[in-house]
Amino acid sequence: MKHSKDPFEVAFEEIDDSPPDTPYTNDVTEAQTMAGHLTINSQRYDVENNINSLNQPRKAVKFSSTSTANKNKEEDDYEEEEENMDVELGRFSSTGDPDKMAKMQSILSQFTEEQMSRYESFRRSGFQKANMKRLLASITGSAKISLPMTIVVSGIAKIFVGELVETAKTVMTERKGTGPIRPCHVREAYRRLKLEGKIPKRSVPRLFR
Amino acid sequence: MSNNNSSVGASSKARVGPSQPSETSFKRKRGVFQKDLQHMMYGFGDDPNPLPETVALVEDIVVEYVTDMVHKAQDIASKRGKLLTEDFLFLIRKDLPKLNRCTELLSMNEELKQARKAFDVDEEKLASAE
Repeated sequence: MKHSKDPFEVAFEEIDDSPPDTPYTNDVTEAQTMAGHLTINSQRYDVENNINSLNQPRKAVKFSSTSTANKNKEEDDYEEEEENMDVELGRFSSTGDPDKMAKMQSILSQFTEEQMSRYESFRRSGFQKANMKRLLASITGSAKISLPMTIVVSGIAKIFVGELVETAKTVMTERKGTGPIRPCHVREAYRRLKLEGKIPKRSVPRLFR
Repeated sequence: MSNNNSSVGASSKARVGPSQPSETSFKRKRGVFQKDLQHMMYGFGDDPNPLPETVALVEDIVVEYVTDMVHKAQDIASKRGKLLTEDFLFLIRKDLPKLNRCTELLSMNEELKQARKAFDVDEEKLASAE
C-alpha cells in the first residue's frame, strides 16, 4: 500500500499538543457523538478513529524526514495527503473520548498479527483520488470535480465495498465455502443488497449489458 | 462465461459516451481500481490475495454504483444548477453509516485546510522574521 509523504504529519503532531479549546476538538467530538448513535457498521468507523494513537509512532518516524523537502509542492501532494487523511486525522477524535480510546487500545493490544494486518489494510485502503476524479469527470461530463466531492464519493464507495464483501463472506460461509471469495458469492451478495434497497435503482434501464 | 459478460459490459460502457473530444477520458480501462480494491477487500474480510475475477467483478459493481449515484445526484441538482456535495449527502441521508462517515470526512477535510493555512502563515512569519 502506498505511503504518501506528509508534511502535515508533523504539523498534526504539533496540533495534538495544543490547548483543548482549539476548534479541532470541537468538530471532532461532534463527529464522535454523531457516530455514537449508530449501527455496527458505523461504529467501526467511529472506532477506527481512535486507532491512530497506535499507528502514529510508526508513521511519524517514517515521514518526518521528508517534511521539509515537500513543503513547497503543489496541489497534487496536498491531494496525496488527503488519501491518508482518514488514518492520520483519527488523532483528533482520540482527544475527544479517553474512555473509547482506552477500550480501543485494549482491543488492539490483543489483536493477532493477522488481525492487525487486516485492520491496517482496512484503515489505509482507499480509492486513488486521481482515478476517482477521472471517473467522476467522465460520468458528469464536466472536467472540474471539486476535491470534497471526490472525498465524499470515495468514502461512500469504500463503505459500499465493505457491505458487499461482508455480505459475500456471509454467503460463502452459508454455503460452507473456504478460501478467497468467488464471483458467485459476490453476485449473490449484490442481489441481497438490492433486495435491501442499498443499491440505487436505475430510472433508465441499462441497454447494453 | 460470467467473465465474458462482465467484460462485454465494460467495453460497451466504454463506447457509450459523448463524442466531443475533451481532456476527460471517456474510455474506461479495466483494472483502474484493481490495486486499491485488493487491499480494501482484504481489509473487509477477504483472502489476502483475492481472486482477480472477483476483484474485476467488484470493480464493475462499484463503478456502476458510483455511476448510478452520480446520475441520481445530478437529477437532484438539476433544479438548482450545479452539482454539489450536498446532493450526495441528500442521497445517502437514509444510510446512516455512509452519512456519518461522509460528514466526518468533510469536517476532517476542513480541519486539514485550516491546519494547512496555519502552516503557511507560520512559514511566512518565519521567512519575514529572517
